[in-house]
Amino acid sequence: MTSIHRRRETLPAMLLLAPFLVAFLLFFLVPALQTFWLSLTDSSLTRTSAFVGLANYATLVQDPSFWAALGNTFYFSLLTVVPLTVLGLVMALLVDRFTRAGAWLQGAFFLPFVLPISVMTLIADWMLQPTSGVVNYLLGMQRAWFADVHWAMPMVAIGTIWWTVGFNMLMFLAGLRNIPRELYEAAALDGARGFALFRHITWPQLRPVAWTALVLQLIASLKIFGQTYIMTTGGPYNTTRVTLHYMYETAFTQSDAGYAAAIATAFVIVVVLLSLLQGWIARRVGGRP
Amino acid sequence: MKRRTLIGMLALASMLPARAAEVQVVRMWTLLSGGDGARMRALVEEFNASQQAVRVESTTLKWGEPFYTKLITASVVGAGPDLATIHLSRLPNLAGGGVLRSIAPAELAAVGLAGDDFLPRQWTKSQHAGRTYAVPLDQHPLVLYYNKNLAGKAGLLDAQGNLKPIEGMDALTDALRRVKAATGKAGLTMESAQSSYAIWRLWLSLLAQQGLPVVANGRFAYGPAGEATLARIAGWFQAGYATSGMDYPASTSQFMGGNAGFMINGVWEVPELVRGAKAGTLGFEYGIVPLPKLYADASTWADSHGFALPANGDKPMSAAKAHAVLSFVAYVSRHSLGWAEGGHIPAYRPVAESPEALALQPNAQYAAAAHSVVYDPDGWYMGAAGPLEAIASKFLPAPLAGQLTPADALRRFETEAARLLKKRAPQY
Repeated sequence: MTSIHRRRETLPAMLLLAPFLVAFLLFFLVPALQTFWLSLTDSSLTRTSAFVGLANYATLVQDPSFWAALGNTFYFSLLTVVPLTVLGLVMALLVDRFTRAGAWLQGAFFLPFVLPISVMTLIADWMLQPTSGVVNYLLGMQRAWFADVHWAMPMVAIGTIWWTVGFNMLMFLAGLRNIPRELYEAAALDGARGFALFRHITWPQLRPVAWTALVLQLIASLKIFGQTYIMTTGGPYNTTRVTLHYMYETAFTQSDAGYAAAIATAFVIVVVLLSLLQGWIARRVGGRP
Repeated sequence: MKRRTLIGMLALASMLPARAAEVQVVRMWTLLSGGDGARMRALVEEFNASQQAVRVESTTLKWGEPFYTKLITASVVGAGPDLATIHLSRLPNLAGGGVLRSIAPAELAAVGLAGDDFLPRQWTKSQHAGRTYAVPLDQHPLVLYYNKNLAGKAGLLDAQGNLKPIEGMDALTDALRRVKAATGKAGLTMESAQSSYAIWRLWLSLLAQQGLPVVANGRFAYGPAGEATLARIAGWFQAGYATSGMDYPASTSQFMGGNAGFMINGVWEVPELVRGAKAGTLGFEYGIVPLPKLYADASTWADSHGFALPANGDKPMSAAKAHAVLSFVAYVSRHSLGWAEGGHIPAYRPVAESPEALALQPNAQYAAAAHSVVYDPDGWYMGAAGPLEAIASKFLPAPLAGQLTPADALRRFETEAARLLKKRAPQY
């Protein structure tokens, strides 16, 4: 009885899933497998040629440029993941707190997120111009931020935070609005005030959202390419060249698609491992069931 | 008789629309921008107006790596143009990789061109594995521009108001110092920001003056002189004779604004100076000399533009189309005096050796540079905006800004480029 019932539900379920599954297979899984296959070959930009086994990977593990690019990617993630999550939470709390100005604040916080990357980088570039930029004007200096080996990456990170924090704010806001008001009322009756309310009610309720935000943010930050490609072109002397930028240069400037595919595959493994690690930590800390 | 005439006329009339439909459309991609782009557009329009059989449609694409990536990928899948302007320094990569279609001597002869019509050096650069893959258009060497007002105040001019010969690195360094001391302006300006190509071109020139190639037999061959030479150039910036961190527009406007005694740049900035002098907006008199003999000779970096026909994969072009394409190339060659007004030295000898071209100012001042040009060494990774230049443009500007020592910059440059030198030439 149940098996017949189940079978009856399977067909419609498959039908409903089909549009997604087809798109997923065609545009994600198949290209991903093709990329992996490509990484086992010695291929140019346009021609897939000789199978070389794991030779590209053997080169990769000894390639200082790859490790340096990976290091730059981690540095960027370090500068963005936690600040973006914390700032998103603070903004969401502000929006939630001010009933009247809330909508206005929400709009202001979210607005940068709708900008295309070209506009965002242009704005950042203008503001950070050595002689005519507003940042140097306010600080009374003439620093070429993106040419400065110490400041280039932090500036890219600040630009990125300004650009994308609105999304995290929305996630936290949705989480905040899902917390039943009765909890606060009950706590208030018990005499809880201010930070105690946040610590004992808001934060425990928000923790799953916070972990999700962190995971999504980690993946988003590791994926960085456009901002550094446009604002610093990886300079000065490759100190802001991130993994995907190295992959891009390998494929398109050096016409080495096989090696570029190996970089991509290795990077996917790194990202997956980091996400798993983060999930494991989350479970240990007790953020998720 | 009358009837035959009528029939003949009818037959002719019936052929007319057919002939009109046979207009060969030649699609051309160029990477020429600014003044070069405008001059090429003018040549295309003049050619289109000069005859009815061929119409050239030109598209300008972004200079450098984007242009070549697009050309390579488009040609491989048969979606490329019929004609492209390329740098001859990229020929080993493009011809060797199968991106270009070779041009037969008979095809050239059909439009009245032959190998002897071109300067031998540029003609040689158009050959790969015994075949012709491009028709050379010009050469554009690095030259030394100078501001006569500033150089005069620094006592660097002779009685005729021309630059006294400068010979040796010390003499040039001293000249830069004197301009700075006498006028307070920069001694030298050149593109020096990150991702600059100028330093590669100058470094390559000065190594060639010492008889050293950058790469020989798949290895870096510049030795200790590479570091010493880079240190000498960086010294100008450290001493304050030149400003580091300048991107291309900033560096040229420093010279055009009368704020630098000398500028090291390619000849492509000549039209801007000619225009400014004519319009009276320049505010100073300028002169141009070949890059001086700073070491053993006066070798100077140069590259050339050339016309090439993409192979277009399994869609090779018809003989008629090839004839149409080459007739345009022949037209441009014969009218390349206009191209010389862009500062370039024409590669087509009947023009290059004509009295008009030899008398053309200011080109005549630096014409001697053509005798000692060096190109990027041959190699698939070499050439304009090629993989090795791209890597050099990341590291070589750093010592100018004092961010890295010359030794450290070259060490990083070699580390990054090591894989490139070992790799087989890619087939596309």
